Amino acid sequence: MSQPDHDSIVNEIRSAQITASPELRERVRGLAAAAPPAAPPRQRRELPWRRWTLVLVPAAIAVALAASLAIGLADSGKKKHLSASGGAGEAQRTEGPPSLPFTGPAQDSTAHAGTPFGAKAAGKAGSIPATQGRAQLYESELTLKVKDLSSATKRALLRTRDFHGYVRSVDYGSGSERGQAYMTLRVPVGSVQAAIVEFSALGEIIDQHVSIQDVQPTVDKRFRQMQAIRDSIAKTQAQLESPTLNAAQRTALENELVARRRQLVVLQKQQAALQRLTNYATVELALRTADKAVVVPHVPNRIERALDRAGSILLDEVKIVLYVLIVGAPLLALAALAFGGVRLRRRRDEARLLASA
Amino acid sequence: MRPGRRISDVRAVEVPSFASVAERHLDDVHSYLVYFTRDRGLAEDLTAETFERALRQWRRFDPQRGSARTWLCQLARTTALDHFRAEQRRRRREHTYALDRQPAEDGLFGVLSPALEKALGELSAGEREVVALRVLLDLDSETAANVLGISVTNCNTRLSRALKKLEERMSADVAA
Repeated sequence: MSQPDHDSIVNEIRSAQITASPELRERVRGLAAAAPPAAPPRQRRELPWRRWTLVLVPAAIAVALAASLAIGLADSGKKKHLSASGGAGEAQRTEGPPSLPFTGPAQDSTAHAGTPFGAKAAGKAGSIPATQGRAQLYESELTLKVKDLSSATKRALLRTRDFHGYVRSVDYGSGSERGQAYMTLRVPVGSVQAAIVEFSALGEIIDQHVSIQDVQPTVDKRFRQMQAIRDSIAKTQAQLESPTLNAAQRTALENELVARRRQLVVLQKQQAALQRLTNYATVELALRTADKAVVVPHVPNRIERALDRAGSILLDEVKIVLYVLIVGAPLLALAALAFGGVRLRRRRDEARLLASA
Repeated sequence: MRPGRRISDVRAVEVPSFASVAERHLDDVHSYLVYFTRDRGLAEDLTAETFERALRQWRRFDPQRGSARTWLCQLARTTALDHFRAEQRRRRREHTYALDRQPAEDGLFGVLSPALEKALGELSAGEREVVALRVLLDLDSETAANVLGISVTNCNTRLSRALKKLEERMSADVAA
């Protein structure tokens, strides 16, 4: 007898078909016939999980992108409003110092003009004149970008003298063409407007600040006080000429006269000092060389703002997904381990069962 | 295609009736269970139970996910495993730990040579069922693995091992 091989075994098994007994066949036929007509199988429209993943993941990404873009577009409109108000401010600064209302006495007025793009503003500064005939403290701060610091400084000092002003202080960086120079100049109030225009021509205005303080009420009040003291002195002098005064009364009146005269002298000095202050305007002049380029800030348009916002929202979404993954991954791993363990145990039980059956 | 006919109707797979499926695959299910249980009487009972279950679960059958024969074999396997588990519990309850494996009755696996019939009877249930699915019912590896709930590689390995055992035991018989 020949040795059996795989093919012969397979062929033999296949040729020996097992058929169900007629009793079993009748039993199964009876089952099918006796049972009420079963409903046809449902046509399932289930998608396997791989297809679900293929559909759901791109859909989730699309939703995230659409949401971030929508929010970005909506938010970019709000930001436009905010930047428009800032832009208007920039525009005002670029055009030069605004016209200041100066309506009357006892009103302090200050103006600030910054010109980051200074070229347009050059020559337009100093357009705020002091009010003629009123006592005012006039202060101006001017920052200029100049090409030649040494030359500009010399010219500023010369112009100050030309306007019959004087230099209170000078802080000059060095003899090179790079550096900074700070000057405190005193210019007669009547010439300050012209002086500032001259100073502005030395370079490009980077920053400008004008402060005008009206002190006329103080002058008027002090003048009235001085007048009253003079009247009092005249009255006291008239009383001293009276022959009916005794020695004590005369001494008292003389002391009062001396005190009044001292008070008058103090007021006169204060008035003179204030007068000197109001006669001259103070100009703080800062000159800088163009060692640092003025960076023009890029103002993004609405699409750029929307894209920026959408990007940040996408980043937030990615953070949330990462957070969920980090938090959920251990739980998922535990669930997978538990599932695998249960399955493995079931397989082993089944294998043991089949081995013993 | 008629106008107004839905695409889903065109795609729908023709679903046979339960009676025709039972008539067509009765022998397949029965022979599989004979191999699995090594007991013709038990196999007949389990076959009938399998078709009862199939009738109850007929609505859950999806022809798009597999053939009716595969579905019936899965049901038959579940039914047989449930029986084996119940038997195991019964034996434990009765303190009969050792399985009294009876020798296979003559002609159990059809008209086979005595050596092959004896060798088949000595295989485990797991080995016999893979032989039944892959050789007797001629299922492909993927379908058989699906019925057994194992990987294709594992299925092929199990079949190869079973056939080798059959070969060895038959050779030993011939030599004797």
